[in-house]
Amino acid sequence: MPSVMARLRKPLLIVFVLALIAVGNIFFPLQVPHVQLPAEKVYLFDFFLVPNTMTAAWLTMIVLIVLSWAGSRNMSMVPTGLQNLVEWAIELIVGQVEAIAGPRRGRILLPLVGTFFLFILINNWSGLLPGYGTILIAGPAPAGEHAAGGIELLPLFRSADTDLNTTLGLAIVSVLATQYYGFRFLGLSYLKRYLNFSGHGAMRGVNVFVGLLEIVSELAKFISLSFRLFGNIFAGEVLLGVISFLITFVAVLPFFALEIFVGLLQAYVFAVLTLIFTVIAAAEHGESAEAVHRAEHGGVGEPQ
Amino acid sequence: MGILEFEVPIFGPMGVNLPGLIGQIVNFLILLFVLRLVLYKPVLQMLDQRSARIREGVEQAERARAEAIRMQQEYEARMEEARRENQRIINEAMQISDRLRAEAQEQARQQAEQFLERARAEIEQDRRQAAAELRGQVADIAIAAASKVVRRSLDAKAHAQIIDEVLSEADKLKYN
Repeated sequence: MPSVMARLRKPLLIVFVLALIAVGNIFFPLQVPHVQLPAEKVYLFDFFLVPNTMTAAWLTMIVLIVLSWAGSRNMSMVPTGLQNLVEWAIELIVGQVEAIAGPRRGRILLPLVGTFFLFILINNWSGLLPGYGTILIAGPAPAGEHAAGGIELLPLFRSADTDLNTTLGLAIVSVLATQYYGFRFLGLSYLKRYLNFSGHGAMRGVNVFVGLLEIVSELAKFISLSFRLFGNIFAGEVLLGVISFLITFVAVLPFFALEIFVGLLQAYVFAVLTLIFTVIAAAEHGESAEAVHRAEHGGVGEPQ
Repeated sequence: MGILEFEVPIFGPMGVNLPGLIGQIVNFLILLFVLRLVLYKPVLQMLDQRSARIREGVEQAERARAEAIRMQQEYEARMEEARRENQRIINEAMQISDRLRAEAQEQARQQAEQFLERARAEIEQDRRQAAAELRGQVADIAIAAASKVVRRSLDAKAHAQIIDEVLSEADKLKYN
């Protein structure tokens, strides 16, 4: 008997899944998802009009702050419960940051990089929680809808990284922080990264041009950092909505796994890129200035 | 509201607006500030404290181990020394006992010899005394016997001379 059951298990599972899909599509058809780039605005406490990505960001902040506070409130030498989780996470992040930036600068850069990672990660993953987008609240109907100008029920939360305001804001903080730490680590000589008039003749021209390129690449980071994060997470949410619309049950599960991975990956990418940009900005120039110094005072084959 | 309703070029249609942007930046900065207080600072402090404690513990264990090894070596050295000392004492005692025994034997031998010597001397003296006494008596007996045998009376002087001669011959016979 058990051998018969074992042989039948796989076909039975397939039949069950197919039946589940059929029942789901017949009795629980989902609507085609309403795709809209700008965040929907909702009335919080009946009068306070805020984008639902803003409420999501607040939820993320509350979750992170409460977890951190609870985990580090009564710290003991022998960690228990939540303290383990918090210490594990911080140790992981510290290890990564110190591996890239070195122990001294790593400790200075840790709060910024770690907060980028945790904020983006919880934003991304919270959007995948079941029921996250199904809490509805009144808000003004978006333009272009049949009920435009009226009141409609809209999701209270929408993953904050699916709003360009969030990702662009993070990118601005990231780029400005790179400049801040550049000055902090190198002093005023950090300016030589953008305004480099050293060298002679053609070399000076090259240095000035490289400085201009640096300025352009810094500006480009506003776009690349913000759109990479926004595009990945927004597309992920749309993908999940569309797959769920096509096949109500089961089929969306692999895509959920994919989005969990993408959410982690994008948080890691954003944080590590910020870290690497900062480390390069603060180190590369110091080394190149040293090289210039050596070349000018070593006097080896340098034209007068 | 003026500036806050400013339409951001290019990004505007994609939902970017100044209040949202500033709001999210402020969100992030608040989170950064609060997490620095309740997450990074205390946890790093704890991690450093713990690693310092562990390093200290490891060093202490290392020191204790070295101390134990040192004490073990010291103990063994002392044991070795004690063993050598014991052996030395035993050897010495055996030497002393040998010497004492030899001395005692020697003494006993000498004493015995002395006794023997003295005994011999006494015997010799007794013998001489006995011989002297015997000689007197034998002379008298011999005279009496001879006077009876010969039936003639010799004068006492000639008599004694003959006896002395006989006895001295006898002495010579005996001691040669």
